[in-house]
Amino acid sequence: MWKFIVRRLFVTFPQIVLLSIIIFILAQMMPGDALTGLIDPNIDPAAIEQQRERLGLNNPWYVQYADWVKGAVQGDLGQSFRYKMPVTELIEQRMINTFWLSLLTLIFTYVMAIPLGIISGRWNDTWLDRAITGYTYIGFAAPLFITALLMVWIFGFHFGWFPTGGSVAPGLTPGTFEYFMSKLQHLLLPAFSMAVITTVSTVQYLRSEIIDTKQKDFIITARAKGAPESRVYNRHIFRNSLLPIAAFFGYEISGLIGGSVFIETIFAFPGMGKLFLDSVLLRDFSVVSSVVLIFGIAAILGALLSDIILSIVDPRIRIK
Amino acid sequence: METNKVNADVQASDQVRSPSGVSILWREIVRDKVALVSLILLVLTCLFVYGISFFLKQSEIVTVDLFAIHQAPNEQFLLGTDYGGRDVFGQLIIGTRNSLSIGILVTIISGTVGILLGLISGYFGGHIDNAAMRLVDFFMVLPTLMIVIVFVTIVSDYSIWSFSLIMSSFLWMGIARLIRSKALQERELDYVQASKTLGSSNFKIMFTQVLPNLSSIIIVTMTLNLAANIGIESGLSFLGFGFPESTPSLGTLISYARNPQTLEFRWWIWLPAAILILILMLAINNVGQALKRATDARQRRG
Amino acid sequence: MAFLEVKDLQVYFPIKGGFFNRTVGHIKAVDGVSFSLEQGKTYGLVGESGSGKSTTGRAIIGLENVTSGQVLFEGKDITSMKSKTKDLRKDIQMIFQDPYSSLNPKKRVLDIIAEPLRNFENHSKQEEKKQVQDLLELVGLSPESIFKYPHQFSGGQRQRIGVARALALKPKLIIADEPVSALDVSVQAQVLNFMREIQDQLNLTYLLISHDLGIIKHMCDHIGIMYKGRYVEEGTKDEIFTNPHHIYSKRLVAAIPDINPRMREKQYRYRQEVQEEYNQSYNDYFDQEGLAYSLQSISDTHKVALPKRG
Repeated sequence: MWKFIVRRLFVTFPQIVLLSIIIFILAQMMPGDALTGLIDPNIDPAAIEQQRERLGLNNPWYVQYADWVKGAVQGDLGQSFRYKMPVTELIEQRMINTFWLSLLTLIFTYVMAIPLGIISGRWNDTWLDRAITGYTYIGFAAPLFITALLMVWIFGFHFGWFPTGGSVAPGLTPGTFEYFMSKLQHLLLPAFSMAVITTVSTVQYLRSEIIDTKQKDFIITARAKGAPESRVYNRHIFRNSLLPIAAFFGYEISGLIGGSVFIETIFAFPGMGKLFLDSVLLRDFSVVSSVVLIFGIAAILGALLSDIILSIVDPRIRIK
Repeated sequence: METNKVNADVQASDQVRSPSGVSILWREIVRDKVALVSLILLVLTCLFVYGISFFLKQSEIVTVDLFAIHQAPNEQFLLGTDYGGRDVFGQLIIGTRNSLSIGILVTIISGTVGILLGLISGYFGGHIDNAAMRLVDFFMVLPTLMIVIVFVTIVSDYSIWSFSLIMSSFLWMGIARLIRSKALQERELDYVQASKTLGSSNFKIMFTQVLPNLSSIIIVTMTLNLAANIGIESGLSFLGFGFPESTPSLGTLISYARNPQTLEFRWWIWLPAAILILILMLAINNVGQALKRATDARQRRG
Repeated sequence: MAFLEVKDLQVYFPIKGGFFNRTVGHIKAVDGVSFSLEQGKTYGLVGESGSGKSTTGRAIIGLENVTSGQVLFEGKDITSMKSKTKDLRKDIQMIFQDPYSSLNPKKRVLDIIAEPLRNFENHSKQEEKKQVQDLLELVGLSPESIFKYPHQFSGGQRQRIGVARALALKPKLIIADEPVSALDVSVQAQVLNFMREIQDQLNLTYLLISHDLGIIKHMCDHIGIMYKGRYVEEGTKDEIFTNPHHIYSKRLVAAIPDINPRMREKQYRYRQEVQEEYNQSYNDYFDQEGLAYSLQSISDTHKVALPKRG
C-alpha cells in the first residue's frame, strides 16, 4: 500500500508543476502586468522602464517563473491592482466562505445521497425507486445554474424563506450567535441547490452497486445460511457498497469548484468563485491566476486523497 | 439459446444487417416510449427552430428598440421584450438554434479528438498508452471552467469557431478514456491478430476493423456528450463568457436573470429559455440512456 | 535446406514491478527451441497450457517479438518484423483457435476473406468476388453466403471461413493454433479431415499446435513435445507414440484413453509403471528449476532432453 501511495505522489507532483506552468503561461498572455494598475499614466516612460527592471519584469520567462513560484510557495501571490492589496489577504476571507459552502454542500450531498441510494437499491423497481430514479434522471440532465436560479427564484424571491445574496446579514458582530445563525442561513440555499445536483452520481452509483451485489453468490450464501434480511444488508451489502463512497468527496472537489462559480454568482455569495469572475471582468489578472492556481491544486490534492482512501478501502485498486 | 433465437429472427427479416449495429439502437428507442417521445420532440424542435430561424433575421432581432423595453408578453411580442426592447421569442428561437449548433460542433470536435487519442492509446498500449492516460488524468483534474473563461477573455480574435475550439480542448478526456478501454479489449481479440497476419497495417486495422466495432458506444457517448455540451455552453453564456450578445444563445437569455430585478419580476425573459434547456437536455439524455441500454445486452428491454 | 527452420528461439515476456514499474524479471515463454519442417508434411507441437507452444507459433508469424534466435523460411531469415517482406508474409498464414473472435463481427464474409487479397493483390471488384466464391467452394461453403455476417454461421462453418481466409493468398505454410479445440467434438473430425484434403490438393505444410494427442496422432508426421518453454522430446509420430523416452512424454502417452475394454488392465498397469518411474527418476529428467535439459539425439530423427553424460 505504501508503494501505491508513493507512486501516486510521483504522479501528483508533476501535475502541480504542469498546472503552475500552464497558469504562468496564461498569466503572461493576459494583457497588462503587475505594473499596469499601479502606475499613474502620466509618469515618464523611462521611469516605468526602470521600475520594470527593478521588479524583474524584463527577465527571461524562466526567471520570472521561478520568482513567481518562489513567491507563491511563501504565500506571496502578488498585488491586486483593483483592490490595492496583496492577493493573499484578499483571498483569505473569500476562501473561508467558499470552504464552508463546499463543506455544507458535501454534508448535504451525503445526507441525501446515502439514504436515497440505499432505498432505491434495496427496494428496486418499486414506486419509491422509480421516483428516486426519476429524480436522478432530471438531476443528471439539469444544468446547475438553472437549478440554482429556479431555487433562488422560488424559495428566495417568491416565498422569501431564504436570503438571496451575501454571506451574512449586515450589522451583526462576528462571534455572536445571531451572526453564526445568519451565516448558516445564507449558506443553506446555495449549498442545497448545489447538493441537489451533486447527489445524483452518488445515488446512481449506490443503487447500481447494491443491485449488483444483491445477486452475487456470497449474498445468496448468506441468505442460504439463514441470515435475516437486515443482517444481509447491513453486514454484507452496505459494507461493500458504502465504503467506496467515503472516498468520493475528493473527486467531488473539481465539480464543487466549477459549481462554486455559478452558485456564488447567482447567490451573490462573496467566495472564491465570485472573486474569480469579478476579477476576470475587472481584468485583475494577478487575482485570477492565483484563484485558478489554488483551485487547481485543491482539485489535484482532492483526487490524490480520494485515490489513497480508495486504495485503503478497495485493495483491487492498488494493483494498477 | 436466447441469442440464437434473436439471430435467427434477424436472419429471417434482414439478411444483410449486422445484429449489433444501428438496428439494435433503433429498436431499443422504439421500445422505450419515453425515449421515443423525446426523440420525436427533439426532431420537431430542430425542424421548428432551424426552419423558423430561416425566416427570422438575427440582426433584426438583436436590434435595440428603446420604445419597447421590458414589455410583458402581449400580442406583438409573444414572450415580451428584454431591457433593449428586443423580442424574447425571436431570441429564444435563434438562441436555441445557436445553442444546438455549437453543441453539435463541440461534440464533433471533442469527440473526434477523444476517439482518435483513445483508439491510438488503447490499440498500441505500452508507453503511448501510459503517456496519453497521464495526460487525460491531468486534464481531468484541471479547473476546466475557469481555464476556459480565462482563455475566452484573452483570445483576441474571438469567434464561434475559436469558442468551440477552446471548449473542445477541455472536453475530449471522457470519451478518450472510454474508447481507450474498449480498444484495449478489442485488440486482444483474434480478429485483430488475424488482420495482422493477413498483412493489414496498424492504421488500417484501427480504423477499418476496430473502429466499426466501437460504433454503438461512440453513438451513445456522443449523444450524452451533446446534452452536456449544450449545458456547458449555456452555462458559459450565462456567466457572460459564451457568445456575444449579438449572437444570442439560450444561456444569454438566462443571463439577464443575473439582474435581481429581472430574476424577480420579469420571468418571461429568462424562464422560457431555462425551461427549454431543461427539456432539451432531458430529451437528449433520455435518448442517450435508451441507446446506452441497447449497448448493454443485460439491460436491453427488447 | 529445410523448408522452415527455427534455431534456438527465445521469447521472453518482461515482468513489471517494483517502484518505477521497471522490468524486474522475465517469463521465459519460449526458452531455446529448435526444429525444422519439411514441405508438404505436418509438424505437431504438443504441450500443456503455458508450455509455450502457441507463443512459438505466434513468434514465427510475427505476432510476438522474438527475444533471440532465428527463424529461417526457405533459407531466408524472417526473424524480425522488418525482414518479413510482402512475399514472405503471403507464404505464411495462420488459423486461429477461436472461430468466434477471429472473425470481425461487423464484416461480411466477402470483406473478411478478401482482406488479404486487398492487401497484397490488385483485383477488380468482380475478380475479387469470383476468388472469394471459389475459396468458399473450396472450403465447402455455399458461394452465395458472401454477403452474410459471421454470426449467421455455426462454429464449424466459421472455422472454414477462417481457413478460406488463410488460403486466399495461396500460402505454403499454415500455422494452425488449436484449430478445432473450440469446436464440438463431432465437428472437429470434419474440419481436420478437410484440412488434410486441402493439404494434398495444395501441397501445404502445417505447423499444428494442439494439446490433444488424439488430433496430433491423427494429423502429424513429426511431433515436438514442449514443457515450460522447452522441448522435452522430438521425433516421428511412431517414435513418439510407440517409444517415448522422456518421462514427460511417457506420462502423456500413457494418459491417452483407450476405448478397448479388454485393454483396461494392461493400460492401468502401464500407467502405474510410468507413475513409479516418474516418482523415482524425476531428477534424471529435470534440472533444479524443474525445466527440461537440452536435447540429445538418440537416432536420426529422435531427440530427447536428457542431462549430458559424463
